[in-house]
This record gives sequence, C-alpha cells and structure tokens, in this order.
Amino acid sequence: MARRVQRGPLAVQRPFYPEKDVCHLYLLHPPGGVVGGDQLRIEVDAASGSAGLLTTPGATKFYRSNGRWAHQQQIIRVAAGASLEWLPQENIFFPGGYSRLTTEIHLAEDARFIGWEVQCLGRPANQERFEGGEVGFHLQLSRDGKPLLIERLSVGQGGSLDHVSGLRGCPVLATLVATGIDTEMLELLERRVKGIEGAEVGFTLLGDVLVCRYLGHSTEQARKLFVTVWGEVRPRSIGRPACPPRIWST
Amino acid sequence: MAGMRQVVITIMEIKVITTDQHMALAEIRLMQLISPSLPVGGFTYSQGLERAVDLGWVRDAETLTAWLTEQVVTTLEWLDLPILLRLYHAASARDLTGVEYWSDYLIASRETSELRAEERNRGRALVMLLRSLKLTGLEAWHEVLSRCQLAGFAYAAQAWGIPVAGMLRGFAWSWIENQALAGVKIIPLGQTEGQRILHDLAPLIAQAAEQAQQVKDDEISASTPALAIASSQHQFQYTRLFRS
Repeated sequence: MARRVQRGPLAVQRPFYPEKDVCHLYLLHPPGGVVGGDQLRIEVDAASGSAGLLTTPGATKFYRSNGRWAHQQQIIRVAAGASLEWLPQENIFFPGGYSRLTTEIHLAEDARFIGWEVQCLGRPANQERFEGGEVGFHLQLSRDGKPLLIERLSVGQGGSLDHVSGLRGCPVLATLVATGIDTEMLELLERRVKGIEGAEVGFTLLGDVLVCRYLGHSTEQARKLFVTVWGEVRPRSIGRPACPPRIWST
Repeated sequence: MAGMRQVVITIMEIKVITTDQHMALAEIRLMQLISPSLPVGGFTYSQGLERAVDLGWVRDAETLTAWLTEQVVTTLEWLDLPILLRLYHAASARDLTGVEYWSDYLIASRETSELRAEERNRGRALVMLLRSLKLTGLEAWHEVLSRCQLAGFAYAAQAWGIPVAGMLRGFAWSWIENQALAGVKIIPLGQTEGQRILHDLAPLIAQAAEQAQQVKDDEISASTPALAIASSQHQFQYTRLFRS
C-alpha cells in the first residue's frame, strides 16, 4: 500500500502480507452503518504490477431513512500487470431505507480481477422483508475502456422484489466475477457446485470473465459458495493458491 | 392565371400521393422486418424461458404473462428500445462509431453467454439477409452490424424510411410474439391462450415504446437476476429444444 487518504469515517486498517507479496487490506466503517444523506466514495487504484486483496471485517448496514438517499460509490481501477481482489462482506439494506450502490471496475488490458458483492435486502434472519424503501444497484465492469458487463437493478418500486424473472422474493442476491477463466473451468464449477438448498446458482462465461450469480435466502450460504468458487478460480485468475484473509475465520 | 393555379394544385397532389406511397411502403417493409418468417432464427431462442419452465418458475398463462410483462417494463423499456433508438439515429447519420458504441453497450448488458451468442447469431443472419435484399451501402458496415441484431434492425429501419415510433413498437411486438410462442410451445399452452396473452400485453408494448424515448443515456441498463440464472443454467440443461 503506497498511500492512504481518509476523510470522514471510512478507514483502511494496517495492511497484512500473509502471502509476502500480496497486500491484504481491511476496509472499516467504524460507525457501523450508512444512513440517509451519507455519501461514501471508495476509490481503489491498483498500481501497475501490484497485487492486492480487499475485504471488510463485517457487514455494511444501510439503515432505514426518512426518505433521504444514501449513496455508496465504489470505483476500482486495476492497472497493467496488476491483480486485485475485492471480497467484502455482505451489504444489508434495512427496510425503509433509500440507498444507491454503484460499483465501477476499470481494468487495464492484462489486469486480473476477482470481485464479489453480496446484497441482503431486509433482514431475513428476523423475518423482516425489504419494504417501504428503495435500493438501486449499478455494476459496470470494463476493460481498456470497453464495457464487459453492465447491470442495473432497482428494488422497491412496483413490487419488483417479487418479480418472477427478477428476485423472486429472495432477499439475498450475490454476484461474483473473475477474469482469466476458460470453458474447462466453467464446466468444472458447474459439475462441482450442485443443488444448493433453497437457492439457485448460475455460472456463465462472458469472454474470459466468469460470472456466478446466487439468488436465495442466506448471506452465509452465498458467502460459503463464493469462498469455494474463489478457491477454485484464484490459481487460474490471479495465479496464486487460495489464502483466505485471517479475518474470515474469526 | 387560372391555368397556373391548376398547375400548382396538380404538383401538390402528386407530392402528397408520393409521401403516402413512401409511408405505405415503409409500413410494409416494417411488417417484413418483424415477421416471424424472417430467416434470422427468432423462434429458436427462448432467452432463459425454457429453463424457467423447467424450474417451475413459469408454468401457466399467469406466470408467463408476469415473466413477459416484467421484461417489457424493465429490459425493453430501459435497455433494448432506448439503444435501438440510438442505433437508428447513429445509422441515419452514418456514424459508425456511434453504432459500435451502442452495440458494445448492448452486448455488455446481456447477462449471459447464451444471450450474447444469440445477439451475434441473429445479427449475422440479419446482415446477410439485408445484403441479399440489395440494401445499399452495407459493405463498410458489415462487421459492426453483425455484432448484434438490434444494429442491423435499426440500419434497415432507417434505410427503408420506417419512422422511429413504428420501429420501436414493431421491435417490441416481434420480441414479445417470439417469447409468447416459445412459452406456448414449452409450457405448453393452447394457441388461443397464447394469442390472448399477446392481445392483453399490446397496450403495455405501446406504452413501453413511448416511454423508452424519454430514457436518458446514463439511465440505459437493466438486470433480471432470475432470468440471468435461468439462462446460465440453460447452457447445461440436459434436453433443450431452444438455443437460449
């Protein structure tokens, strides 16, 4: 890590180097949550030839608000020859909250990347459905300025939580992307990951980008799935065996 | 003086007739462009619907109507139609870069490899067809129009003088007709049931085509997570009738 700039409550903890040459970083949000009116902006620049892994020690909570919007923007740039892993814990959107989450990932031609986002709408553990608010997700992945994947999902208007082609009433939606994947790996994952109870999983290969999507009821289940997939794809994608950040086991 | 007046009137009449004829021809060209018999293989793609039926997500007229309605108000209105509009204007202005930009944007917005392959395959088939119909000026555009079917569709629409609103409605209609017929075949439903669904969804199509014209550049995109998962799983489905 070369430089750390902090304004407001977001903080970057001291880096760990459990793999010697990969910088493991924990991103902290000490107040523990995002409220209406908050504007959070996280910019990650992985310099040429660098190797980094980012995670968070806990879930990010987007609280209920009185109609004011919270906006978290995540901008990740990975330069030539660099590798970056963006593996945060889940985002929890409380009922009655108005939140926007924007994730932009800009890759240089030969940059390597694995990233995931686990979104939890409402609080399924407490049988609290996401109601009376709105959440907008926007994901954009590009390489050399050319778009590879663009997705935008709005939840909370017009009963969209129950759309049969959308969320199907499932509170947990999770997406993993990884570069440098081929058909052989796709088929291996498809064979290995079978029948997750109460959830549906899809693997697809867009060029060399693997996209794994989870739709279900448990953030724990989604995370477990993604850690397994990450373990399989990391050697191919990043060129290193899996080395789970210490904080995941605490 | 009287003779001169008569000449002016005659010329105006001829002009009116000519415009009417152009419009009539454009309308017929649109019918050909959106016909299910157009050899671009429309009926061979289900866009995840085959797997959705297999999963029990779509199982009757009601769930098929919901599946289609959601896609009209999310994907068609916020993604396909706004991009089709931009491709039309770019093609009219002979703006190759603009056509490339919006084609790449569309492909990046297709959430699975099967949906992207469908764009490419239908795009290629449509350009080949347009070339055999002697549509002029296609040589330099062949590669870019082959990337997705919307590009070729927009190119043909502007070349044949089809008005924007008609093109948007026509495209949306042909999409929903293909999908409804796929549903009728897969679920299965009766032909009359299929026609009733199409009849009931027609006002929604008109509305989507209208509202799509208000969508701004930075609002263009969509996502249908369950459809994306169904389409991903379809690639590995054991028995498949459809190519997507």
